[in-house]
Amino acid sequence: MGGVYALLSSGVTLIFGVLDVVNVAQGSFLVFSALLTWQIWDLTGIEPLLLIPVMGALMAFFGWIIYRGLVKRVVPQGPGMTVLLMFGVAIAMEGILNIAFGNKFKSVTPPYFTQSLQIGELVLPYPQLISGIMAVVVLVALYFYLKLSWAGRALRASAQNKDGAALVGISSIKASSLAFAIGAMTAGVGGVLLIIMYPIYPATQYDWIAKLLGIIVLGGMGSIPGAVIASMILGISEAFAQAYIPQWSAAIFFGVILVVLLFRPEGLLGEKTREDVTT
Amino acid sequence: MSALKKPANIVGTVLILLLFLYPLVGSETRYFESVLIVCMLYAIMASGWNIISGLAGYVSLGHSVYLYIGMYTGAILGKMWGVPPMYLMVLGGVVAAAIAVVVGFITLRTRSHSFVIITIAVLLLFMTIAQNWKSLTGGTDGFIVKQPEWNKDSPTTPYYYIFLGLMVLTVALVAFIMRSRLGAGLVAIRNDEGKAASIGINTTLYKVTAYALSAVPFGFAGAVYAQYLGFVTPTTALAILMSVFLVLAALVGGRGTLWGPVIGGFLVWGANEASTVLAGEFSARLLIMGVILILTVMFMPAGLLPTISRFVHRRKSQGSAVAFIDQATIAQTRDVAIDSIVARTGQSTDPVVPALEVKGIVKRFGGVTAVDGVSMTVERGSITGLIGPNGSGKTTLFNCMTGTFQPDEGAVFLNGEDITRQKVWTRAHEGLGRTFQITRLFKSMTVLDNLVAPLEKTSVRELVAGRYSGEDVERAREVLDFMGLAQFEGQEAAALSFGQQKLVELAQVLMLRPSIILLDEPASGINPTLIEKLASVIRRLNDAGTTVLIVEHNIPLVLSLCDRVHVLAEGQVLISGTPDEIRNDPQVIEAYLGPDHMLEVNDV
Repeated sequence: MGGVYALLSSGVTLIFGVLDVVNVAQGSFLVFSALLTWQIWDLTGIEPLLLIPVMGALMAFFGWIIYRGLVKRVVPQGPGMTVLLMFGVAIAMEGILNIAFGNKFKSVTPPYFTQSLQIGELVLPYPQLISGIMAVVVLVALYFYLKLSWAGRALRASAQNKDGAALVGISSIKASSLAFAIGAMTAGVGGVLLIIMYPIYPATQYDWIAKLLGIIVLGGMGSIPGAVIASMILGISEAFAQAYIPQWSAAIFFGVILVVLLFRPEGLLGEKTREDVTT
Repeated sequence: MSALKKPANIVGTVLILLLFLYPLVGSETRYFESVLIVCMLYAIMASGWNIISGLAGYVSLGHSVYLYIGMYTGAILGKMWGVPPMYLMVLGGVVAAAIAVVVGFITLRTRSHSFVIITIAVLLLFMTIAQNWKSLTGGTDGFIVKQPEWNKDSPTTPYYYIFLGLMVLTVALVAFIMRSRLGAGLVAIRNDEGKAASIGINTTLYKVTAYALSAVPFGFAGAVYAQYLGFVTPTTALAILMSVFLVLAALVGGRGTLWGPVIGGFLVWGANEASTVLAGEFSARLLIMGVILILTVMFMPAGLLPTISRFVHRRKSQGSAVAFIDQATIAQTRDVAIDSIVARTGQSTDPVVPALEVKGIVKRFGGVTAVDGVSMTVERGSITGLIGPNGSGKTTLFNCMTGTFQPDEGAVFLNGEDITRQKVWTRAHEGLGRTFQITRLFKSMTVLDNLVAPLEKTSVRELVAGRYSGEDVERAREVLDFMGLAQFEGQEAAALSFGQQKLVELAQVLMLRPSIILLDEPASGINPTLIEKLASVIRRLNDAGTTVLIVEHNIPLVLSLCDRVHVLAEGQVLISGTPDEIRNDPQVIEAYLGPDHMLEVNDV
């Protein structure tokens, strides 16, 4: 579970790092991808894991369109407005998904859905295990892409200093489009992984977006390693809470966030803003 | 401007009158009354939200939590005491405000993005608690609240008038805040928070106060709403949707305006009712609201009222040429008794204690030691210069003095008092004023507003005082006269040239009656006439007893103006001395000026 959190929140934090836009629609992207996966699986019975690249690409394209069509125009109006815009997108998408798929739980049940791997005392349900591994694989691939490729370097440069990056020939529009596409792609992949683990319906997006945003605030806005660490904290605290006091697991996570922010307002690995310093 | 002269106030007053009369004259009122009640509820919530998010610019997406807090407060205490929740609305407001203070202290330390997210998290956290603390809240089923005797046939009219009353009170609260020093300070925070702190605004206190006040109307309305509904249930999706609706209402109407959120409340809930009638289904409404939100953000980000007023304004001002202001008039300074400008009561005049002193300041950034053990003094009544090549640590040292940075080691003393750990605004209250290299005026405010924004101290009396309380305005005009800026009084700060803005910023600092002024590269980027003007102002201020510290690259200016100059190089003090000593010191020439600068310097 922590792996899926890490993948999804990396997408959000990447978009934030490059664009200064908090993508609160990530939850709805995720649900969109998950429900689309369900639809294809329902119609064809195809192995859902094979859909990972397809959904990834599809959502990347979708993200690209959203950025070009909507986000780009609102960015000059400041961060508050882009959050509201993305909220509008999230709600509109929930409306559309409700109409298209109905407000019901959907789940994909491949043959291994109910099986588990048993190692001694430890019982690992296959869906969780597979999702976790796949999420880590994609995350590692993403990490190396950002670290090693030219485009990845361009993205990291843009995230650190937009104007500086523009001066050395990195189009901020292109970098932003790419970041948005990658962010949406993580939601595409996440959607597939999610629906083999849990049943989903459109309003689930609120739970997701709350958790993802919590993670990136806890980890430090814009920091991918921070997002990964915070995801692990959430995953573990949830697992513990679920074992002992199931209904309080969400409360415990948000409680942890509030306590951490009390001492480190910039998050675990966040950088202190230097916006007070213009001299 | 009289209150009724503003068209928006007239519209608002008419709206309230019509709402007041409606149940008296309308027939078949029940359905419409119930719709209007929710409209008013949204108007109340949007107006409350406006205090923190519209005025101070901290967008909260979870504000409906305070309505739920009001609802639960009314319902739970009502059940315990056997009282209908409505009678407990004051308690609802108090509890909401109290929780908001606690939440505010945690969340408002974070900046814009994180704040938005945390507000959502707080909402979800509260809902989780409400769903699971079964003994207190009845869990996911919630509970039925006690109704008073008169409510047997559940009439809507009494609730209608209560919500109308709450709406009027909320608007009055917002109007009061907007006219107060608190309101001016909140707008200043929205414009530039770091700057606001530098002119003595206790930003933490302001934000938390605004956040708590914004929760109060929610708490009141919540207690009443619980009784109106007859039950309380914690439905997370509804709570989030409610937050979105109220934000949308404020946005559509015009955030930061008095009547915008009220009108927005009616428009948004009206549109919602209409789409229920037309489209019926919940999902379709969701889609419609989402699309409206997207369209508003994209095409009418300022909101309806500001958009209309700008349109009207533009039509009015067509043809009237913008007055051309002659640069030369700025150079003329009306004679103002300088004493009234610089006088600061209770100021230590002991010449032995330096005005400002730093001891052993060290500041590191990662592996770089920007300032490495600097000790220096700024003597009382002097004009002291701080120069050094780029990267020598001037700015870092400067920021340690003003409180923007905390030094890793060492201490800062103002008038002999250790201020190392003091907040930026406390330093401003103690008499330390600063300007910025790139001016940081509140661009959307007029020059006069910019000048009355600074605060010499923080007190309740200051917060509730009118924005233009007589004394301050008088003083602001005096300062403007002194600086030769009187004719710009009503101009928006953004309309001024960069050099003019620098003068206004200095004027703003003078409002604090500082005992010492720190000028950060005052001469960079402005024309020679204004530099001369600035130099003469600095001299006059200094003659009147104000101590000045200048960080500057314009060496001729520094050497001609200052009594004493400190030269920094590589994070350490290279040499301190009179301008003459500095000018002829081979070390300085070597380290900084370079052989080519010799001639220029000697010309001065």
